[in-house]
This record gives sequence, structure tokens and C-alpha cells, in this order.
Amino acid sequence: MDVLELARTQFAVTGSLHFLFVVLTLGLAPLVAIMHTRWARTGLPLHERMTRFWGQIYLVNYALGIVTGLVMEFQFGLAWSGLSHYAGDVFGAPLAMETLVAFFLESTFLGLWIFGWGRLPKWAHVACIWLVTATAYGSAFFIMVANSFLQNPAGAVESGGRLELTDFGALLSNNALVYAFPHVLGAGLFTGAMVLVGASAYQLRRRTAEVEFFTRSMRTGVITASIGITLTVGFGYAQFAAGIRPGKFSGNAPAAVPLGFMIEGGHLFALLVLFFMLPLIRVLPRWRWTHRLLIALTPLPFALAILGWLAREIGRQPWMIQERLTVADAMTPGLTAGMVTASFAGFTVVLGLLAVVDYVLIARVIRRGPGDGLALGAADERRAPAMSY
Amino acid sequence: MEVLWFALFAVLLAGYFALEGFDLGVGLLLPVLGRTAERRDRMVAAIAPFVLANEVWLVAVAGTMFGVYPLLEGEVLFGLYPLVVAMLLAWIVRDAGLWFRRRVGGARWRRFWDALIALGSLWLSVGWGMALYGAATGFASSPVHPVGLLLGVVVTLLFAFHGWTFLGWRAPGLTGAARPGRMLVLTGATAALPALGLLAGAMGYLLDHSAPPATLNVLSLMVLPFAPLMVGAQVWVWRTFRPGKDADRIPSFF
Repeated sequence: MDVLELARTQFAVTGSLHFLFVVLTLGLAPLVAIMHTRWARTGLPLHERMTRFWGQIYLVNYALGIVTGLVMEFQFGLAWSGLSHYAGDVFGAPLAMETLVAFFLESTFLGLWIFGWGRLPKWAHVACIWLVTATAYGSAFFIMVANSFLQNPAGAVESGGRLELTDFGALLSNNALVYAFPHVLGAGLFTGAMVLVGASAYQLRRRTAEVEFFTRSMRTGVITASIGITLTVGFGYAQFAAGIRPGKFSGNAPAAVPLGFMIEGGHLFALLVLFFMLPLIRVLPRWRWTHRLLIALTPLPFALAILGWLAREIGRQPWMIQERLTVADAMTPGLTAGMVTASFAGFTVVLGLLAVVDYVLIARVIRRGPGDGLALGAADERRAPAMSY
Repeated sequence: MEVLWFALFAVLLAGYFALEGFDLGVGLLLPVLGRTAERRDRMVAAIAPFVLANEVWLVAVAGTMFGVYPLLEGEVLFGLYPLVVAMLLAWIVRDAGLWFRRRVGGARWRRFWDALIALGSLWLSVGWGMALYGAATGFASSPVHPVGLLLGVVVTLLFAFHGWTFLGWRAPGLTGAARPGRMLVLTGATAALPALGLLAGAMGYLLDHSAPPATLNVLSLMVLPFAPLMVGAQVWVWRTFRPGKDADRIPSFF
């Protein structure tokens, strides 16, 4: 592989890895926020345990979202400085908004939520998880603004060999953005919901003692999955009515193949969720013969989400910014194959191992269930006296 | 407008050194002060509520660099390519250590991740000294230079001292010496000195390479309305987790 191929593969691999964790974060954040709000309203132990159990899964997943995201942010400067040289005055604005405002607030409020357990006033604590959700959606929005600009460079003109921002409104109303953003949020909700369904099915199939806990979780999952898949498929098709450049996928097999699989997968899921799982929502938790299937389905929304990104990004080749800047011209001048090979190996080995550990840890939380051993909001630490005062 | 954004950039970079400096410092001190598992738990619990609010300052620095100094962003990161990759890996390893150390109960598991926290903190601290040296020479000289390494040692010692002061402020039982908040502010300012020195030297160059006014205006309109919320959130963290009668009893997720 030459240096360009290596740099592209590095971005594709780290980006896909990042989105595997982001898509679940986007789906679980609002669900955990809703559970926490219910707990604050009712004060029921069941709602507290649901918040802590699904919150713990959300957080273990979040860890990898952060560390893979760091690699994404710095990769622009490391390997693709041609992009900031040519379009930094435009492309930099949404990226700055994402990192400087949205993620800054998200991380700060997340720390308050995790460690504010038993310390913050009840409703202030609830406000934290809603602020985390809102800023996570804000982050997703600005990243989609930046990506949509690459797909369709609206709101900018070239002057003196560089792009200049002329209309910020056009950046936000980009037709590559307005349908794709709700499509991504829907996919997040759907993925998170199917994790609720799959994990609940696992516990119910094993005849858990926590029947009420996982019955409710499964029903929440089915309802959310119905909303999520409807949004995903609806806005997915809306993109073809307006927003996708004509010819993006015709005769472009590397982009059309992942697109085809994603669409077929989306159809099958829509049929399954809306015409089987939703109508049977009352009996599904008891029908243990369906649980093996529900467990097996859990990883598929993740795979479809990655296929969607592959289609969107490969469909843009050979352009970094559609019809303005090629990927080859966006690569940092002077970058060598040796440099990219070394960084690619480092990122892949470290992030790959951590990702495996992370998924094992999530599976472990699910297997152990909402009994003892949840670190999030654990009360035993509070009872322990300070030892060496 | 250029001056305003330079000031914001400077505050973010110096703020990162002053805030994340004590997290890295406590990480560095884990093998020194944390001889028992119980002590390491308490050291990590002391920084835990602050880490997420602190490390994100560097994410903001990089984002600001992209938005305000688009021509320099690639130059800086590419100029230090191997070092930036190594520092990113160090940061990742340190964060993974914090998030994973309590996820499994075993003592060996926790010892393994604690070692990675210490190693990642050391690697990142030394890397910062070398990166500042590399940037100060305009990337003309390799950061693996005696002066760069020396600066790495200096930054590491500053962070370690800042971390020690932080523990003295928040959990005096661990260091055996209580430190007032004033002292913590002072060591924070000292930890930020290397970064401030570089910023002072690069000020003219940065001002000349700012993004055009149209971009800065958009950034100002978008970012400045959120500034009170951002400051407020950070203040809320410090108010909530300040030392008090039960500061040592916060349930720690990390």
C-alpha cells in the first residue's frame, strides 16, 4: 500500500472503531436520562437500579468513545493538514464548536453526573445527565455539519486558492446534513434500544430472578427500537429524495455494496421490529424461544451503522471536499509510509485491544445483572470511614 | 478579534497544564505514595471527579487551533508526528487505566491498570516537555534533544509537585501534610509556566496566522454565548467536589 492508501485506511479503521462506541452512546444517553428522571419522580428502587445498571453499561462503553475520539481529532492535523490549509477557515468552525463547546460541556457534566451520586441535589443530578445527552447530540450535530460540508461544500467560495466562509447559515442548512443528522440519531436510538432488548433477552432466557427489571427494560427497548428504526429508515430514504448527489452510488460498486447491505438490513429490521416485536411487546419477555434470536440480533445494528458510514464516505472518493479538493491533495505533504505504518500499528493494536476489553467488560456487567457490584452510585464507599485522618 | 482568540487559546492551554497537571502528577506519584492498593484507590478517588473536566481542556485547545489557526494546526501536529502519536497513546493508556481499574474485582487486575496510569502519566508529562521544546524551535530541531528531554524532566517534576500539593489539599491523609487552596493555585500557575513561556514567544506569530475575520466572527458568535455556561460548569465541579467533611467518602467510579 502506498502512503495515501495507508493514511486512508488508518482514518477508516479508527473512525469506524470510534463510531461503534459513539452510536451506542447516542442511543443510551437519552434512555438513561429518562430512567433517571423516572427514578427522581417516583423514588422507586426499581427505577434507581435501572438507572445504575444501564448507566454503568453506558459509561463502560463511553470510555472507548473518548479514547478513540482523541485519535480522530488529532488525525486531521497529523495526516490531513491539506484539508485545514485549503478549507480550515470553513471546516474548522464546526470542529471548533464540537470540541470547544459541545464536548467540553459534555465531559464536564458527565464527571458531575458520575461522581455527583449522593452528593448533588436530586434534580440537579438529573439535569446533569440531560445536559450530557443534549451536548452529546450537539457534538453529533457539529460533526455532521463538518462531514456534510465535505459531501457538499455549501456556504463557501474559493479565493486565493483557499476556501472562505461566506454563509454560515448554508453550512447548517446543507442538504447533505438535514436528513442525515436525524438518520444518525435514529440509528443511535435503535442501536441502544436493541442492546436493551438483547441484554434483557439474555437475562430472561437464563430465568433471572430480576423478571420485572428485565421485562420493563425489554419493553422500553422495543418501543425505543420502533421509534429509532422508523426515524432511521424514514430519514434514510429522505436523503435520496433530496441531499444525495446524483450519481454518488450508480456505477460505484465499493460504495453501492455497503449501501445495499445497509438498506436490506434496515428493511428486515423495520419489518421485524414494527410487525413482530412491537405487536407482541406484552408477551415477548415471556416467550423464551424468541430470546436466542433477540440476543443474536444485538450486534447487527452496529454493523449496519458502519456500513452506512462506509457508503457515505467511499461514495465521496476521490474527493476530500466534493469537487474542490482531492483526498490525495488533502494529505499532509511529506507524510511517509513509514510514519503512517507506525502510527496505524500503534493505534490499531492499542485501541483494538482496549475495544475487546471494553466489550468483555460490558458483557460481564450484563451477565452479572443489576445485583451487587455496580460501581456507579455504589453506597458502600460512602459508608467506609476515612482511614488515616 | 485576533487578540481575543489568542487570549482564549492561551487560557485553554495554560488551563490544561494547571488542571490536568495535577491529575498527571497524582498518576506519577502512584508508585511513590501508593504503596498499598487501598492508598492507590484513595489517590485515584481524589482526582477522579476532576479528570473528565480537566483533560477536556486539551481537546478544546486542539479544536481552537483548528478553528482559529488552521494554517498552523497541521504544521504543529505534523512537525511533531511521532511525538504526538506517542503522547496520544500515553493519554489513551492513562484514561483506559482510570476507566478500567475498578471494573473487575481482582487485585492483580487493578495493579495492572494502576501501573498503566503511572506509565501513561509519565510518558505524557515527559512528552509535553519535549513537545514544548520542539514547538519553541519551530520544529527545526528534533524533540529528542538533551534540552527537550531536560524540559520533559522539568515538566514532570512540576506536575508531580502540583499533584502532591493537590493531594495535600484534598486528601491530606495521603501526603501527611495539609496544603491550603492558595498553595494549589500557586503550584498550578507554576505548572502552567512552560506553556505560558511558549505562548509569550509565539504570540506575534499566532496573531499573524489567525483565521480571517469572517471565520472569527462566526466562532465568536457561536462560542461566546456558551462561555458563561462553560465557566459555570467548571466552577460547579470545583464547588461540588471541594474538600469537606466527606470529601474522602465520595463513591468513586474510577
